[in-house]
Amino acid sequence: MSRVLGLAFAAVLVASPLRGQDSLMLRLRNRADSLLSTWREAQRLADVADSLERVRATAGSDTIAVGALRIIANPSPLPLREAAARAWPAIDSLYGSAAEDLVQHPYIIRAVDPDSGVRRAVLHVGVELPWDLDMRATTRILLTTVTPPRFDIGLGDWLGATLRPTLRPGDEQTAVYLQLVTVPSEAVRGCFVGDIARCRDVLQLGDSTGLVGRWYVTPAEREALVSGVFGDYFARGGTAPSLQKCRQHDDDACTALLQSLPPGSLPRLLATAARLSLVREALRAGGRNAYSRLVAHPEASIDTRLASAATMDLDSLVARWRNGVLAARPVSLALPWWAGVAAMGWTAFFGFCALRSSRWRL
Amino acid sequence: MTAMFRAVLYTQWKWSRLIVVLGTLAAFAIPLLSLQGAARADRGAVQAQDLLRSVQSWGSLYPLLATALGLLMAIAAWAPDHRGRHIHALTLPLPRWEYVLLRFGAGFVLLAAPIAAVAIGALLASLTATIPPGLQAYPIALAVRFTFAVFVAYAVFFAVSAGTARTAGIILGVIAAIILVQVVAGIANIDLNVFGAAQTVFVLGPGPLAVFTGRWMLVDV
Repeated sequence: MSRVLGLAFAAVLVASPLRGQDSLMLRLRNRADSLLSTWREAQRLADVADSLERVRATAGSDTIAVGALRIIANPSPLPLREAAARAWPAIDSLYGSAAEDLVQHPYIIRAVDPDSGVRRAVLHVGVELPWDLDMRATTRILLTTVTPPRFDIGLGDWLGATLRPTLRPGDEQTAVYLQLVTVPSEAVRGCFVGDIARCRDVLQLGDSTGLVGRWYVTPAEREALVSGVFGDYFARGGTAPSLQKCRQHDDDACTALLQSLPPGSLPRLLATAARLSLVREALRAGGRNAYSRLVAHPEASIDTRLASAATMDLDSLVARWRNGVLAARPVSLALPWWAGVAAMGWTAFFGFCALRSSRWRL
Repeated sequence: MTAMFRAVLYTQWKWSRLIVVLGTLAAFAIPLLSLQGAARADRGAVQAQDLLRSVQSWGSLYPLLATALGLLMAIAAWAPDHRGRHIHALTLPLPRWEYVLLRFGAGFVLLAAPIAAVAIGALLASLTATIPPGLQAYPIALAVRFTFAVFVAYAVFFAVSAGTARTAGIILGVIAAIILVQVVAGIANIDLNVFGAAQTVFVLGPGPLAVFTGRWMLVDV
């Protein structure tokens, strides 16, 4: 009897915390559900507020349509139609057939008095532009604020920027050329001298395993990275001794420290311009539907998407990109011929002034 | 005429030989120093940025040297004449414009030494340096730019030096007036950019000082 009582007592003792745990889980689940419903409610209210704000911002405005561009703006001297006419070909040539989707993403522009002292209502939708902007500046604003159609987070993360048209693609490629030549990295230099595999690595295309060794090829680069960029990060806690070893040229310690970093925290070897110019090259090669193909499968890897957009294999695309960059080499330092003529002309002019000096006149 | 030119050249050499010798040494040394370390065997390709930075730092010395050479040579060309109140020049059996031309020409001949030194130094430096791929040496372009800069500087200061104190006063007065106008316009909040206009006229495009601007790089992309 006492054994039965003992067992029953033990069962009650074991069950009571389990019951308590069940009730805790239930409470937490209820709280999560409540938070979710509150968040949905807030989202609905935000949508209503956005909608009302949009109505308020566009009240009394005209719609300008150029190609698939739609600009909702209040009447003003701002040269929006002319600027849109200049911007549209650049936008259309980048996004191709996908540019038609821009109808769904109109610009909301409010032209305001350039005098900042004039009071005006605050709007939370669209952009405010002073009405005295010239066509060039207005065009630039349209190009730099266009919403890329169906642009996904994966592509944005890899690019490190939003893909928008540029008025000077040559400048972008020249900037990449300078990076290829001056970035202190053997991998980048390898790409510059024609190693396409290295180009793929520095552009972070394809397999991302062993990225530390492929991006930072030499022990000196790895040591410089750990000591410079991540010096403070590794100086505290358990990694401090490894940092010391790394600073004493222990490459294994440097490599281990870099491999312990969270994914995606290694600094990119080339700036955003390199990846942007590669995507532009893919879109150029792929024709009008290239952008649509690029954004068609956000779940696919970037190299697959680029190859699909360009309708060629990745190595050919990268080689084509590299050739384009090399062709955009900055102009030579040599003086233009007219500068030499001007210098000799000024020399003769000042010499003549000396001959005609008042000291020599009787 | 040739004998007369030789005589003028000789006297000018005597007056300015220290300037010429020091200028030539500096002109030879700057390109070599700007690429110091680039010839080291352990300098890999990764140091391109450091190399460019060093070359750029040293590059600012070329226009300074050109200006200094032009100024000092012009002063040296006229200083003895100014001291002697031009009596010697007036006694010579040749028109004054010819005399000025001889002085002007003699200065150019003497300036050939520092110009050649820059060219030789730059060529030597670029031949001995290990230049990373993607970068190129521009010894000839640098020497040509230096030549034009020296010539313009010399001609400007020669003209100023050949003038009277009154002429120099007028030039300084004009510069002072421009500065004054700009300062007054700034105080009165008037939208007037005299310095900007002066910069456009003198430094940009085919202006007289345009050759001094730009990138004085022995090595660049």
